Amino acid sequence: MRGGVPAPLRVAQGLTRWVSRLAAVMAYLAGWNYILCAVLITFDVVARNLLGFSTAATVEISGYMLACGIAWALAHTLARRAHIRVDVLVNRMPLRLRVWLHVLAVALLAGFAVFIAWGGWQIVEESALFDAHDNSALRIPLMLPQGIWAFGLLAFLVMSLVLLLESALALLLGELEEVDALLGSRSVDDETREALEAVAMAREEQPA
Amino acid sequence: SAYAQMPESLPAGAPLRLSAVTQPLPTQPQFTRVDIPYLREAIPKRSNGRISVQLSTHAERNLAGNEIVRLVRSGQVDIGAGTLSTLSGDVPLLDGIDLAGLSPEIGQAKKIAEAILPAANKELERFGVRLLAIYPFPAQVVFCRQPFTSLSDLKGKKVRTFGNSLNDFITTIGAQPVSIGFPEVYSALERGVTDCGITGTGSGASARWPEVTTHVSSLALSWALAGYMVNVAWWNRLDPEVRNFIEATFKEINDKQWELGHTATRDGITCSIGLADECKLHPLAARPMTEVKPVEADQALVTKTFRDVVLPNWVKRCGARCGEIYNQVIAPISGVEYRP
Amino acid sequence: MIAIAFLLGLLGLLVFAAAGTGQSLPIAEILGLIAVFIVFFGAGVHVAAVLGILALLIGVIFSDRPFWLFAGQTFWGPSSNFVLVAVPLFLLMGEILLRAGLSDRLYKSLNIWLNRLPGGLLHTNIASCALFSAISGSSVATAATMGSVALPYFDNTKYSQRMVLGSLAAGGAMGNLIPPGITFIVYGLITETSVGALYIAALLPSILVTLLFAGVITLHGLRNPLAKPAALPLSVKLRSLVGLLPTMALIVMVLGSIYGGYATPTEAAALGVAGAAFFALVERRLTFQMLNASAEATARNTALLGLIILAAYLLNYILTVINVPQALADMIANLPVPPWAIMLAIIGMYFALGTFMEGFSMIITTVPVVFPIVVALGYDPIWFGVVVTMLVEIAAISPPDGTVMYVLQGMRPRGGPITDVFVGVMPFLLAYLAAVGMLLIWPEIALWPLSFMR
Ligand code: NA
Ligand code: NA
Repeated sequence: MRGGVPAPLRVAQGLTRWVSRLAAVMAYLAGWNYILCAVLITFDVVARNLLGFSTAATVEISGYMLACGIAWALAHTLARRAHIRVDVLVNRMPLRLRVWLHVLAVALLAGFAVFIAWGGWQIVEESALFDAHDNSALRIPLMLPQGIWAFGLLAFLVMSLVLLLESALALLLGELEEVDALLGSRSVDDETREALEAVAMAREEQPA
Repeated sequence: SAYAQMPESLPAGAPLRLSAVTQPLPTQPQFTRVDIPYLREAIPKRSNGRISVQLSTHAERNLAGNEIVRLVRSGQVDIGAGTLSTLSGDVPLLDGIDLAGLSPEIGQAKKIAEAILPAANKELERFGVRLLAIYPFPAQVVFCRQPFTSLSDLKGKKVRTFGNSLNDFITTIGAQPVSIGFPEVYSALERGVTDCGITGTGSGASARWPEVTTHVSSLALSWALAGYMVNVAWWNRLDPEVRNFIEATFKEINDKQWELGHTATRDGITCSIGLADECKLHPLAARPMTEVKPVEADQALVTKTFRDVVLPNWVKRCGARCGEIYNQVIAPISGVEYRP
Repeated sequence: MIAIAFLLGLLGLLVFAAAGTGQSLPIAEILGLIAVFIVFFGAGVHVAAVLGILALLIGVIFSDRPFWLFAGQTFWGPSSNFVLVAVPLFLLMGEILLRAGLSDRLYKSLNIWLNRLPGGLLHTNIASCALFSAISGSSVATAATMGSVALPYFDNTKYSQRMVLGSLAAGGAMGNLIPPGITFIVYGLITETSVGALYIAALLPSILVTLLFAGVITLHGLRNPLAKPAALPLSVKLRSLVGLLPTMALIVMVLGSIYGGYATPTEAAALGVAGAAFFALVERRLTFQMLNASAEATARNTALLGLIILAAYLLNYILTVINVPQALADMIANLPVPPWAIMLAIIGMYFALGTFMEGFSMIITTVPVVFPIVVALGYDPIWFGVVVTMLVEIAAISPPDGTVMYVLQGMRPRGGPITDVFVGVMPFLLAYLAAVGMLLIWPEIALWPLSFMR
């Protein structure tokens, strides 16, 4: 590490850290939302077979849970560099060229994120105009799930923009290692650590 | 009534490329026997190539069916068609034309559909969409994997339904409505996840339900009414002679669809119960089903449930104004008045 | 390279067909788009962004409709589709089973039975993956779960590292083929075929592939013999079966709930999660911390797939707006060649696309186009569903790009070049292709069990 990070880059780094933290919280909520979804569907199956009733809205609600789960975890997945890139070639290029491609990739992804987020908000507005409800027994106003969903898309957009900002600044200031660390493909070490953590959790002594 | 006539020709003029998305599946007779002959074939031919039509179905465009109003509104296609109960999430008034138990026979359904068109269009034009015609699918009936002789036998059974008014209906007769996504219904019936399912007589036959069910009722619960819609901005921009040409074409299409709705309703049943001679429009069931003819008590039960539960619940969803429109337009035909 | 050659071949075919029908094709535009596609992929742009930008370019160039005004609906539709809920649920089940140590017990028990065969511990890789696949519907989940369990057992052994990685990748690539499977659910959704029937049709092909893999390992074992571990007394072997019980119970629960008529295939995935949580509770490992970690991993992996699905659906929508699928289907149906040749071309297309495309997006973008052709040619839709699933699985283990291989590469305790995985998986890849060939020659392998159901 060279001493003295220039001020604009420091601000951008702080911004990325802050947004990443928010994104992580949203991703955990998205994950717990899937656990809840499993509970809901299991309950519906049991109720239908043993208790003789059905919520008659499970199909719709779990669909909304999926949509919101995907959207709310997009930003965190980006921060963790887990969105899929075909980087076989990129990883063989010299650092000087590689960092430009990293920034290009995140710029194009941010561009696509703008479109997704815009599309998401546009359907929320349209549902508001129609005062649309779903056809389930609960007649849920579509604005509700679609609004939550679109918020996740917006978070993804913000995440991609702060990453773009930080990496572009770092590139211009010649901090190539930092760009690679920020956007480069996850190293073997990262992935191994993760897998081994999971196995370690399984091998842990049983909790007292 | 006499058929409206599609014009034999159209004077030469600026060419028009028209895009239409109509029925749910490309195999449905509503598509193969009406839409293709008229929209895809007759329009270019009789307009001497002035109008060309790109025609496809919901399935081919990967649409669920509940987004058709938005599809037409945003100008993705010029003409779209979809079943009204599926569209009722966006426009609840549309559900009222086809409530479960409203029309026991197809003639009444047609009268109601024609009468409601102006009111429905007033509602739709706020969104930039206009209905050209309302047409039926074959009668919506009950298919079950176990024998039954009347609706009261369905008490305690799991019945796959769609839409609010059928849900209300099934609940009131003591059965348990089950919501299962359409692609999963066949295997749900096969495995007994659900005991019965409601769909059109023809759709059931086409979706191979006779393979997984044994008894089919010929009592019409509703008609799965659908509508052809146009984008108003596009419609108003059209050359008046082209607009008249298309409008007249849809009048004829409308008549053909009602005629088809009538024959297809019976055909779906005859194909399901294995009458090879009378089965013309749908695939013949390999293992014939048993037809459950409606008993008098059934019809009485349907009418009573409609008046006491289905109708008031719909007005609750749609708002008091829908109740007024119903009483003005539909009640004189159905003979059942809505009392708040 | 295969893919590029294939795309150029397809273009040639289009030109040939257009010449026959007298229409003119925008060759320059199409070549330009293919170039953008290849350059973006090569430059490491995210797969979702490549698909999405390609979609927007195609829309701007070829469509006169305001397609962007419908984009929100195009994104919302598939995101909120109930049938796709099975994807995160299968992933969640895998995460819970892994963290509860049940996968580890499965592996140990099978090992006691299989480690004296020629090929030894490698057989356990295939067998444990096969059993795990019978509860999980995801290949990535299967490879991730069994890979992280199995790899430590091979530390400091004389087994060929390549064979170890290859067998685990191959085993993972059965996750979708052996019922239940997400690919079948998605295929059933797109084509309106019965997921239950697809599962039954996949039964014999699953066994076939498992046996072929075992054959590959046996051959390898005979040519590279290793010292056999001491034989264990039968009583020990029998007692080890207890370790299989939770897995067996889950198989019965997931598949039994479908065929017993208690749940739809999507709902069965939720029951699987509940069952996994139950066994974790029995093992006294159902903690908040464990669920929290499982939740995060599930959210991340679902989002990764979800972003690609959003882009793939946008591309799909714009292609249908400009009528590409129907035109392509018409063209292929009118080619002056027999049906089996077209089927071979379709399979060739999947194999070529699969070398660089992710299986899930491949199925979503291609099946709506290809399915009507296949049906028109007179092939059985259920049979084709099994073949497509096998091709998707092959895509996951065909270099240079394959999710299952990446997952395994990431888990190697000592690292090493990814070419180890590429080389190791080759014999299994060939065996998988042989199985597809057999299904082409004898469709009964898939369809015969169905004759008892109809
Ligand atoms: Na599986
Ligand atoms: Na591949």
